Amino acid sequence: MSGTPEAPQARTAAEAVASGALPMVHEPAVPFVEIETLRAREFLPAAKEALRDLIAEQGQTKLVRPVFNWAGRNSLFPLHWGLACCAIEFAAGFGARWDAERFGVVPRSSPRQCDLLIVNGTVTWKVAHKLITLYEQMPEPKWVIAMGNCATGGGPFRTAYSVVPGVDKLVPVDVYIAGCPPRPEAMLDGILRLEQLIRERKE
Amino acid sequence: MQPEDLRRALAARAGAGVLAVDAFPGMAGQVRFVRESALEVFRTARDELGFGHLAMVGAIDWVDRREVFYVVWSDAAKQYALLSTDVPAADPRIETASAVWPSANWHEREAWEMVGINFDHHPDLRHLLTPDGYAFHPLLRSFKLHEPEELEVKARHV
Repeated sequence: MSGTPEAPQARTAAEAVASGALPMVHEPAVPFVEIETLRAREFLPAAKEALRDLIAEQGQTKLVRPVFNWAGRNSLFPLHWGLACCAIEFAAGFGARWDAERFGVVPRSSPRQCDLLIVNGTVTWKVAHKLITLYEQMPEPKWVIAMGNCATGGGPFRTAYSVVPGVDKLVPVDVYIAGCPPRPEAMLDGILRLEQLIRERKE
Repeated sequence: MQPEDLRRALAARAGAGVLAVDAFPGMAGQVRFVRESALEVFRTARDELGFGHLAMVGAIDWVDRREVFYVVWSDAAKQYALLSTDVPAADPRIETASAVWPSANWHEREAWEMVGINFDHHPDLRHLLTPDGYAFHPLLRSFKLHEPEELEVKARHV
């Protein structure tokens, strides 16, 4: 920035423009970053307000739920939790041959990141409260699949002294998969049926 | 090591408590002892006979009595031995072996919850395989298979 010797030294862009040392480009001359911040600050409340009006007008279920529903049913994240021999079929279902990931099903190691609990095996009374804890740690909305005869009704151990006769005595179950153990195709079929249930869900 | 060796070594310190020493296939022998002298038999087996490792503790319900047995292993002799004793069904009580062999701790917890043997002076006699507060001992002959609903009422504690 240069000025004539008799002109006062301009200290800001606005003064430089006012003194004629700089051509007027912007009105007002505000740094770019500041403009972006202002835009963001104004945009967020405006967007919230617009969304609120839209929801009030159209209804939340009509507008937002289908989007969540579509996103949720196409990215079911089951808990990576193996209990018994059904867990071998569960693991095979995520291998190269059956590849459940093409349906967006990715097993996660933490219940906090999951929305699907696949109970794949015999549940004993000793592990029952751990299953309930895992279920309660999962965020809503969440679904449960009872995979195999043991999780469905106790299986061959139904009258045993240590086995829970059906995991639906502990958590609400959405889909039951028969088999001892069910093949990975049956597990994939159960997951697709659950997707269908979510698609048809009315809220 | 032969049954005679076991008998000779046990006679010195736990002589009165040892009822019989018999041959047992695949092992150095089977020692039957009375439950009052359990600790002497355990200490003699570990210190004098060199059975430094307790492989397992088990119990059997014979309806009129219950049998508690200990399988011990000697690194020097490369042999197992079987120590067994009877406890009356009305008072199934025996001194713990976990003061002699610490590995007895979990085995005795299992024998207690499954067959109902009470181990005196056990440091931590809690449920191992069944949930806390489980109401019965499932490996007793008197245990009947329950209807699932009945079992649920009894076993559910969560």
